[in-house]
Amino acid sequence: MNYPFWDVEMGYGILMALIAVVHVFVSHFAIGGGLYLVVTEQSARKHDDARWLGFVRRLSKFFVLTTVVFGALTGVGIWFIIGLLDPAATEVLIHNFVWAWATEWCFFIVEILAALLYYNGWDRMSARNHMMVGWIYFIAAWLSLAVIDGIIAFMLTPGGWLESGSFWAGFFNPTYWSSLVLRTGICIMLAGLYALMAASREKDASFKASLVRHSAGWGLVGLAVVAASMFWFLADIPATVMDTAAKAMPIPMAALGLMWQLALVLGAMLVLFGLVLPKAYHPLVGVAVMVLGLVWFGSYEWFRESIRKPYVISGYMYANATEVGKAEAYQADGLLAHMAYRTGDDGDDLFRHACRSCHTINGYNALKPLFDGMDRDYIDGAVMGTGKMLGNMPPFLGTKAEAGLIADHIYKQVDHRPVAEIHGLSGAALGRKVYELRCGSCHVPGGHGSNTESYADMEPGDLGDMLDMAADLGDRMPAFTGTSEERQALIEYLQILGKGGAQ
Amino acid sequence: MNMLPESYFLSAPLWLITVLHVLTLTLHFVAMNFLVGGIIVVLAGKFSDKWNHPVVKQFVKLFPVAMAATVTIGIAPLLFVQLVYPRQMYSAAIVCGWFFLLIVFVVIAAYYLLYGGSFAKAGSKRVPALLFLALAGLLYVSVVYSNVFSLAERPGLCKALYARNQSGLMLNPEVGSWIFRWLHMMLGAVTVGGFFVGLLGRKHDDAFKVGKTFFIGGMAVAMLSGFVYLFSMMDLMKPLMHSAGAWWLLGSIVLALGSLHFFMKRKFAASGGMLFVSLLGMVAIRHIVRLLRLDGAYAPSSVPVHPQWDVFLPFLVCFLVALGVVGYMLKLYFGRQRPD
Repeated sequence: MNYPFWDVEMGYGILMALIAVVHVFVSHFAIGGGLYLVVTEQSARKHDDARWLGFVRRLSKFFVLTTVVFGALTGVGIWFIIGLLDPAATEVLIHNFVWAWATEWCFFIVEILAALLYYNGWDRMSARNHMMVGWIYFIAAWLSLAVIDGIIAFMLTPGGWLESGSFWAGFFNPTYWSSLVLRTGICIMLAGLYALMAASREKDASFKASLVRHSAGWGLVGLAVVAASMFWFLADIPATVMDTAAKAMPIPMAALGLMWQLALVLGAMLVLFGLVLPKAYHPLVGVAVMVLGLVWFGSYEWFRESIRKPYVISGYMYANATEVGKAEAYQADGLLAHMAYRTGDDGDDLFRHACRSCHTINGYNALKPLFDGMDRDYIDGAVMGTGKMLGNMPPFLGTKAEAGLIADHIYKQVDHRPVAEIHGLSGAALGRKVYELRCGSCHVPGGHGSNTESYADMEPGDLGDMLDMAADLGDRMPAFTGTSEERQALIEYLQILGKGGAQ
Repeated sequence: MNMLPESYFLSAPLWLITVLHVLTLTLHFVAMNFLVGGIIVVLAGKFSDKWNHPVVKQFVKLFPVAMAATVTIGIAPLLFVQLVYPRQMYSAAIVCGWFFLLIVFVVIAAYYLLYGGSFAKAGSKRVPALLFLALAGLLYVSVVYSNVFSLAERPGLCKALYARNQSGLMLNPEVGSWIFRWLHMMLGAVTVGGFFVGLLGRKHDDAFKVGKTFFIGGMAVAMLSGFVYLFSMMDLMKPLMHSAGAWWLLGSIVLALGSLHFFMKRKFAASGGMLFVSLLGMVAIRHIVRLLRLDGAYAPSSVPVHPQWDVFLPFLVCFLVALGVVGYMLKLYFGRQRPD
């Protein structure tokens, strides 16, 4: 609340992912690739193999141009983007971990200089000195990961820091070690994938086969480390978080599922094209494997980011930057009183600070489709009940009057025609749509907040009574305020649900 | 609920953070000045057979390295400014959001352009075009930075701009509040660029002459623009002259002139040392001006200090080890190579 809100229609999640996923895809290669280069160089020199040495040399040029320029700059880009999108959380991280970041900077300086000397030193330095610089590069790069991992893992599992505020409790948090091993595995895997891309362009078939086999081995070893440590990582995430996710958070669970599927496909491709048919490792296969790796990494990062919900720093700060520790103050004073930057339109300001981190009206994660055809009172009730909804959203911490201002703000931008007219539906189909819109955010048939069994023995009149007294049935449950046609259609649909149908 | 840790604190005494901030920012400026000033001098300087001139070729090869140094060293002052002034800096950056974010992509493009120049064959006509484009990108970055940091010192203006537009499409409309500051910075870069051209071109008369011309000319106009900037501050002039800033200013001017004196005598160690301390003084003045400008709105000294010495110490050890490793690697690279 101490910062202005950057209003970008494309959505914070997408903007963050665009920069962060691309960065981690390069930055992890920067670590694993460093190891790949020096280990392969060492082996080539030991066997006095000029072709392998030539390959490593060519790869080192690509490596420097990719990691030192693009990797390093997109890393700065992450700093920029988190400061723009989530300055409050960044402020917390900076104040608590500034010396960790400063330490990482020391490793970064060594890393960058070592990369430049390694690349420029092929002809100038002796083999021993060259490999020494290569090893220094890898060690510095991995140490920078070991530092950053503490801060990234902290956001998911702050552990004892929440009680003590101790740096070390926050840094060596419950997911630190598993995350570090997992990311190390990713580094090794990506070293293999990038090297495969380079190997795919090799003309000499037999040399290409040995290059591809060697690099696929790196990819598979990395993937094996990733798979094993993923179980460890998942076990380190508090059970309550995983349980809640399984029940009410479709996005991280979908990302997790996608991640396992992609890992299987990636493994199969590495075995097939890397080990069985290495000569057939066409550049297009290389591109496909790289894209798979990128999407796999994206799904992992999406899982890690979204499993934290409703928090940006678990147990400390919600995703919309409201602070857990200030909840009582917000509720007493109202959110507006805590906003340092105002525009003169209170509804707009409240909407931005309470909802816009994750939702737009008509763009990314849009609210309009969810509220088209809804009346203002329902929207008001929905705002008050966000903490109960599917997706594990942050609770609304403002006053009742402020929820009303947000409701007004949303209501004036949605379609005011009845649901039946907007969607061209009637009868049970209309009932289903009304259920999705008015009930489905908290009650998923057969899933999160499901109570379909209770409808089994209810007559239409009982169901009607239930709708009439909806506001009294649960904490923060809004009253049913739809039209009589919607009410009738909903009763019809609830009967079908009660009989076990239409889920 | 209210037992959660408080996060708005400084994890070391303010003086220590300030020293580290000023020092690392000065080092960042040295690298940036080498880069920006070097490109300007190379593009505008009258070298004989310019694009085949050994000094020019050496600079073209060094520009990507200078870019790496500028970015890498620049991370530290960015870290410290975010630590002490997060609410001022992020807020200003958000108001200029898209312009600020674009910096990342512009720098990436400029970096690749510089690499393109360094890979090009000697005498290639592509080199000046690539350098020119890279320079245009770097000037964009400098303008946006000047906008953001001048806005960060003006919370009232920042709030007014945000009330007008929330999409991150604003720049500081009070041009006078950043243009002289920016100009002074860029002319300073030309001065330092001239110094480095003179230093690396000391064995080539024409290159030294080019360096000297830009060193003297750059310093003259940088001083002039500095005074214009000083007078444009209006009401801040008096408190600045009554603060340590006056001594820093006087010392910086004297040192800059001393640097010029030794440069003419080709005593580059003394000249470079004085130039560095002069630059350090300018950064210190910049810091004092920020404090004066924010007076009444925010005082860093009001932020609670909870030192994390148990974390600072490992950082210090890592820093010293890193310096040692950097020295060791340079020795491996430049030293005598033992046969394998």
